[in-house]
Amino acid sequence: MRGNTVVIAALNKVLTRKLTAINQYFLHARMFKNWGFATLNSKIYKASIEEMKHADDVIERILLLDGLPNLQELGKLYIGEEPAEMLKLDDKLQTEDIRHIRDAISVCETEHDFVSRQMLAKILEQQEEHQDWLDTQRSLIETIGVENYLQQQL
Amino acid sequence: MYVCLCEGVTDKEIEKAVDQGARTMRDLRRNLCVGSQCGKCTCHARDVLHEALQARPDVIEVPIRDASIPMDAEVIYS
Ligand code: FES
Repeated sequence: MRGNTVVIAALNKVLTRKLTAINQYFLHARMFKNWGFATLNSKIYKASIEEMKHADDVIERILLLDGLPNLQELGKLYIGEEPAEMLKLDDKLQTEDIRHIRDAISVCETEHDFVSRQMLAKILEQQEEHQDWLDTQRSLIETIGVENYLQQQL
Repeated sequence: MYVCLCEGVTDKEIEKAVDQGARTMRDLRRNLCVGSQCGKCTCHARDVLHEALQARPDVIEVPIRDASIPMDAEVIYS
């Protein structure tokens, strides 16, 4: 199926964000694991796998639209040095991602590509869930203090 | 946090380098190898550098002149 180049470009932009997030989450997860924070490791590892599934959906959609998915491009990673900072940087990445997905959704809408729109909406829903989790961690750290918080993550 | 992942350079290391006399991106590249591989970190490194320089009372940053705009003699000689 011959797709709209504007939509393909928007999807490729989302793909770059996804590929970047896969790596950032993966590295953060394994850093948590290395320090013994098993709970954080498994949560962030799953977030990385989720990102990979999203990337897969986007790749398949671009191919179906007769476009070329750009797997070459990768954004900058924001890697923290300690747990609280890592969660904060993940939150920053997630917020930016959500903004980009919303932009892509409105592109799909103006171009009347409702199937791409629906796919992105599903991705957005999961993004928002993860961001909500990140927000919760942030407020937990604020209320109980980082030491107590990390104690619970072992 | 890590500013340059290829060379494993953190924002704190850049700030320390500024304390020890680094003033330009070239200094950072020479001392810490920042940005010498993929180059994705140069914008971020520049931000960290500028912030560290701005915090120093002994450094005045002069904006780089845009070469496409002809020089204004009035500004130079006034
Ligand atoms: S991140 Fe600095 S050169 Fe690649």
